[in-house]
Amino acid sequence: MSDRRLSSFLDALVAGRRPGAFKADPEDLEVLRTAIALRTARPGDGTPDEQFVSDLYQSLTEQADSSPATNVHPLRRRRTRTALVAVAASVALIGGTFAATESFDQSPANTTAVGVPHGDALRTGTFEAPNGEVLGQIVAYNGHPSWVYMNVGVAKSTGTVMCKLQLNDGSIVAAGTIEIHSGTGELSKSIPVDIGRLRGAQLFTSTGAVLASATFA
Amino acid sequence: MSPAPLPSARRVVHSHSSAGDPARLRVVDPDGYADWEAVYRENIDRLYRLMYARVGNRPDAEDLTSEVFRTALGPLRLASSKGEVRSYLLTTAQTVLASHWRRTLGLPVTSIDPESDLAALAEPSKTEDPSDAPQRAGKILASLPDRYRRILELRFLEACTIKEAAQAMNVSVSNAKVLQHRALRMAAKAGLELEQ
Repeated sequence: MSDRRLSSFLDALVAGRRPGAFKADPEDLEVLRTAIALRTARPGDGTPDEQFVSDLYQSLTEQADSSPATNVHPLRRRRTRTALVAVAASVALIGGTFAATESFDQSPANTTAVGVPHGDALRTGTFEAPNGEVLGQIVAYNGHPSWVYMNVGVAKSTGTVMCKLQLNDGSIVAAGTIEIHSGTGELSKSIPVDIGRLRGAQLFTSTGAVLASATFA
Repeated sequence: MSPAPLPSARRVVHSHSSAGDPARLRVVDPDGYADWEAVYRENIDRLYRLMYARVGNRPDAEDLTSEVFRTALGPLRLASSKGEVRSYLLTTAQTVLASHWRRTLGLPVTSIDPESDLAALAEPSKTEDPSDAPQRAGKILASLPDRYRRILELRFLEACTIKEAAQAMNVSVSNAKVLQHRALRMAAKAGLELEQ
């Protein structure tokens, strides 16, 4: 495993995100195990989230009622939920050491680093390619400052993807570059606007072609 | 993924007819589960904790726990004892976790042993974290030189980014990465020695 991939894996682990997939080197096996062991020593995520328990119960009930041929399907909220958790993690990281220490000191029952925002505080969109394929999610969080988080999945790709965030009047309010590793990448960024003014976002390839577009719900 | 082998049924399902009620009733063993909801309620918490301890992040732990229940509940025989059902869940979890690592890193980073991990599923659920991870991590960290211990504490226990950790230790980000890498290698050795 390259140092860069190992660093990415550790960064995701530390931030509570899902680490990306890659071909690991056997000589790093013990390092990976040790990193996981140390991460699980931090209180908080080791207890199942009530919403998760409830959602899975509901999903299994539906599974029990459906035919065997169609009884395996992902939770409908999975992708958005993952994005929301990642947003919470991103916002937590911006808070720096103080926020992290606060989280560390809380009891296990109350250790979600940052609560998932609700209502007007949050807007979401789905990146869709011109052929309709879903390539990722974007979440905007209204706060001080406001934040936007996006994740993109482009199978078997590496390189960079440019993202431009558009206001209702068509002007570009922010732009950023997403590094794609093993087909996936993500970006979180503060934005100097009320998220109510956002129309959507577009992803561009390095040649300038539109890769996907998202419109905020 | 192929489901794990089913536990053998121990008890016979009886059919009774009561006056005006032809419903089929099943004799429920006190050591068994009344229905799949009971299986779920009693094991979801423990199974999640077990998965989390193996992958170290909530999104994967949730997905893998979901996959275990989706795979296991269909063919599950409620006539089996609680011990047999737990053993079946663990065997399924073992397969699900192995498949996860094969898919993501190509190596079995961690595993579940249905025999030695049965206690984790059999113990009564507690509100506090029953994991021994903090104690184990504490022992590993205590065996490291100060700077190695500090970088790992900042990163894994205090959730600092590499940049924040570097600032806290008054070193460059590059140095913090090198420090972290060396510290993890030494911690891995210390962990292995603790197991022996």
